[in-house]
Amino acid sequence: MKSPILLSLALGCGWLFSPEVLVITGNSAGNLGLLAIPFLALAAFLFSTCGKTINSVQLESERNNELQILQQSIGAIPAASLTLAACFPLLILAATALLVTSGYTFNEVFLYWFPNFGFAFLLLGLLTLVQFLPMKLLLRVQLFCVSLAGGGILILALYGSGTSVIPLSALLHMPEPLSQAAFSSTMLLFLFVGSNLFHGQQGRCSLVPRLAFFVFALWMFASLSHVNPERLASSTIPYMTASRRILGDTGRQIMGVVVISGSCAAVIGLTLLCREKLTDLVQALMAPGFLAKGDGRWVLPPLVAIATGICMATGLAGDEILETLLRSALLLWLLYYSAVSLAAIHVLRKEQQTVSLPARVAPLLLFAGLLAVLLTNPQRSEMFVIIVCLLVASSALAALWFFINSERKETP
Amino acid sequence: MKRFLPLLLLFFFAGASLLHASDVPTVSKDELKAQLDTGTIVLDVRSGRDWSSSEFKIKGAIRASGDDIGKWSKDYKKDQKLVLYCA
Repeated sequence: MKSPILLSLALGCGWLFSPEVLVITGNSAGNLGLLAIPFLALAAFLFSTCGKTINSVQLESERNNELQILQQSIGAIPAASLTLAACFPLLILAATALLVTSGYTFNEVFLYWFPNFGFAFLLLGLLTLVQFLPMKLLLRVQLFCVSLAGGGILILALYGSGTSVIPLSALLHMPEPLSQAAFSSTMLLFLFVGSNLFHGQQGRCSLVPRLAFFVFALWMFASLSHVNPERLASSTIPYMTASRRILGDTGRQIMGVVVISGSCAAVIGLTLLCREKLTDLVQALMAPGFLAKGDGRWVLPPLVAIATGICMATGLAGDEILETLLRSALLLWLLYYSAVSLAAIHVLRKEQQTVSLPARVAPLLLFAGLLAVLLTNPQRSEMFVIIVCLLVASSALAALWFFINSERKETP
Repeated sequence: MKRFLPLLLLFFFAGASLLHASDVPTVSKDELKAQLDTGTIVLDVRSGRDWSSSEFKIKGAIRASGDDIGKWSKDYKKDQKLVLYCA
């Protein structure tokens, strides 16, 4: 793909249009009313500021990936273990959750007779096969999914904003209770997972957060103009409720396309991100070389497909624990992103370069947001245990490989 | 091996989807509708994402956990007709 803007959109927008993000934006709009929009702007600002800081280190020094930036600040094993813990559990858990949601959507919106689980498995197979395509073709598939999902949301958002049935004055309410509102505002940080960490996005790290702000501010306004806030806040599928109210059955069908193509884009995008991080680990001799064979396409996608297939077949999607696991994985990703941003500042200061105040404050605010999500969550103790377990397991894996690798180096 | 890997995966997932598509005893929408007035109780035993991702929630259905069948089954008479909504 020649256009850097299209490449940046294809890579960064994957997770952005997933049903998970649509639930977060819908619930946040319900809890905060129009106040959700300034919070969304703040989250977008934090991510584009951190992205710029990471980018400036990548452009001005020989360190061209986040792993090297992290490694210089916290050491090789912690850098490898944080990368492993942040990326791979999120990919498997998000794929399980999103594919099951797509299965239900396909069954309920398009074909009643087609089993939802059957569709989820077929989609998993298809998305795995897609990973074997040459990169150029794969990026085109990804851009197609992103355009379909983004276009669908934009159509519904524009139509919904223009046909408001709830008066504007009713939307300007103070959120209650405040703890719920605080929880909702911090959840908006999860919108930007993987939005500006791809190598191909260098120089365009604020494009996706800005686009996300524009699209979701409009979508929140459209949702609030058609559905009462209490309904939006409590719904498990606020996106479907809003689209049905905006355009009736046509709205449902458009949203059905958005959910399925958004899920595909999220799974492809997160798999690509993991392939990239795995290649970085292999290049830094922090993982076995065979994992990065053929751009990481031959080993990781089948392994992820088998793990996701097992999760779906054993009924993880029907268990409440999936939500807790997914939230924990998202928190780990946020921890990774904050750590990379802080490490980038550390590198810049070490090289005696000036770091602006917003750039210094942004990762700290992300870290504070992470703590707020954890502490305000009713399942905080379970989440804490899951995060610690994942960190310990990934550290053990990273340390084991270092041990094996050092033995090999010493052998003449 | 590289050539066969995508093919193997396709068979695995196609097989898995057929497995899940196998017939299970069901009650049609209209049959259930007719039975609702006769005191049939609908129990929505879907949980997690099976419930939260679904747009369809039957009006008047009672949410119950499939794991706790031993607990809630005691609340109903033995001759009472229960319809479990599980997928």
